[in-house]
Amino acid sequence: MAAPLRLKGTSAAPGVANGPAFVAEPMAPAPSPPSSISGHAELASAVDTAIRELRDLGTGADSEGGDIVEFQIEVLRDPTLTEMAGARIDAGENVAFAWIGTLDGYIRELECSEEDQLRARAVDILDIKNRVLSVLTGTPVDDFPAGSIYVGKDMEPSRFLAHDWSAGGGIVLFGGSAVGHVALLAKSRSVPMVIGTGRFTTEGGQHMGVDGDSGVVILKTAKHHATSTQVSRPPTSTAPPLDSGILHTADGAQVLLSINVNAPDEIDAIPVATTAGIGLVRSEFAVTSLGDAANEEKQFEIYRRLLDWADGRSVTIRMLDIGGDKPLSGLTEMSSLRGIRLLLARPEIARVQARSLLRAAVFGNLRIMLPMVTFPSDVDDIRQIYREESSLLASRGVPHRIPPIGMMVEVPAAALMLDQFENADFFSFGTNDLSQYLVASAREQADFARYQARAVPAVLRLVARAVKLAGKKPVSICGDMAGDPSRISDLLAVGLRHFSVAPDRLPTIRSAIVGLNADGTRAAGE
Amino acid sequence: MSSGLRIGTHEAGQVHASCQTEVEVKHGVGLHARPSVTFTRLAKSFPCSIEVAVNGSDVWLNGKSIIKIMGAKIRKGSVLKIRADGILAEEAIRALKGLVERNFDEEKKHGRPA
Repeated sequence: MAAPLRLKGTSAAPGVANGPAFVAEPMAPAPSPPSSISGHAELASAVDTAIRELRDLGTGADSEGGDIVEFQIEVLRDPTLTEMAGARIDAGENVAFAWIGTLDGYIRELECSEEDQLRARAVDILDIKNRVLSVLTGTPVDDFPAGSIYVGKDMEPSRFLAHDWSAGGGIVLFGGSAVGHVALLAKSRSVPMVIGTGRFTTEGGQHMGVDGDSGVVILKTAKHHATSTQVSRPPTSTAPPLDSGILHTADGAQVLLSINVNAPDEIDAIPVATTAGIGLVRSEFAVTSLGDAANEEKQFEIYRRLLDWADGRSVTIRMLDIGGDKPLSGLTEMSSLRGIRLLLARPEIARVQARSLLRAAVFGNLRIMLPMVTFPSDVDDIRQIYREESSLLASRGVPHRIPPIGMMVEVPAAALMLDQFENADFFSFGTNDLSQYLVASAREQADFARYQARAVPAVLRLVARAVKLAGKKPVSICGDMAGDPSRISDLLAVGLRHFSVAPDRLPTIRSAIVGLNADGTRAAGE
Repeated sequence: MSSGLRIGTHEAGQVHASCQTEVEVKHGVGLHARPSVTFTRLAKSFPCSIEVAVNGSDVWLNGKSIIKIMGAKIRKGSVLKIRADGILAEEAIRALKGLVERNFDEEKKHGRPA
């Protein structure tokens, strides 16, 4: 066997993994926007599948149940619905949203009917709406064998999220970025990852190693390594204090410590009493496809689960920050828009999420956060959507509540004008994007890390100014800078008192805070 | 009440016609879900277009759409105008009228009349 070949790359997530290589095909170019003709066909075939499922259900049912099934099938075959959904598809709507838009209109009509007979049918229609939706959006992402080392030019976040990492494995990217979204996910799941190796060839199944601590890839390792992962985990000898994330600096100032969450199962292993709640839920990592974005019930369940876990503590859910380098699988058009601009350009996506959040809000201490806000009108426009959806829910008698709505401060133009955002209930600094836009660098470029370090003084100056402009409103920081113990002193000094960090950063940041004074100076005796 | 106007032409051996009739709904609760299913299913089994107008309204509803038929608030005593246009129009009108007169086969439940 040839001697192992070592390739130098850049570490993106620590830990060491060995396993068979999985060589990813070059990322397929985003599928060409589906023509309206294929949209019609897609819907027709999903409806047929739903009818078959209903038939199977109906065969075993009693006559009462059978009647309901027959009624549902007849609605699925209604030419009026097909026409209305078809017109939406022709107007450029994605097929899933065309379907739910059509059905929601009909459900609302039924719910508002003065006749009991008709009102009672709304739930049957809701059922078929979700049945067809799940057929439309049930296509799973291509997965790769558990325990393998993913090798490729790049990796889609949805692919990372759909994969079972419990059997180990790692990631090697020819290109990639240490501050990219997959790197962020890899760090939070302790998946070793090396980027920037340049293109190399290896055969699928060939054993290889990833050393995320030193940024090295080892090709052609002996097979006896088998599939194993040794992730260097932070020492867990001392149990974290159950102080609900309420800490005090050495001189007694109160500081809150919350966690950032990507996918909902990340919280399972974390005792809630060690946190002040969730300071940032990146909902785009929990809602990863256009199908999920269209699925109100699925989103509602995810948000409820987070609120249940928090047990009364604050949970800040950021609306979908999609577009740019975070594509939503299935959404092909307008990818140049990002964050709130995309949500406002595609209000059908924003409205589904708004409804799920409004409904979830009655189950806990929810706060809604808007991504990439630039102007106060962005917040006004989203608030208008929440008001409209709220009154629609009210007319249907669905329990809901408009929670506080705040914003990410990650666009320099917004940070400089924070006093103008009277319509935002709270602010949270996103230092990754703020740095990127301050130094005019694209986040996808691997060398952004270099600029990012040099941008720190400029970012701190801007944050200091923005904290003053925020006045008495709650302010926090959820960007990567908050998870770096060497920056905590500076962040305390500019006046920040609420930090939200990746769960694995909790112990480090906790000890950094308690060893400092509120002005960021080192406590006596430290 | 009897079938009204009929204009027939022969096309490839099938009768293309326009037909219209009027019938009163006698069913106790009107057209709720189950009778509506029976009606639209029967309507859909004919190739011609089928439209329904209720109580002299000049709004013609698609007789194959359960949403339209159920939403039309058809009750006991409502008078339905049914018109059909196309292949088997005459047969469609006869069958649908018969179904309404037989109270949507509620006793037999479902199924197209023989």
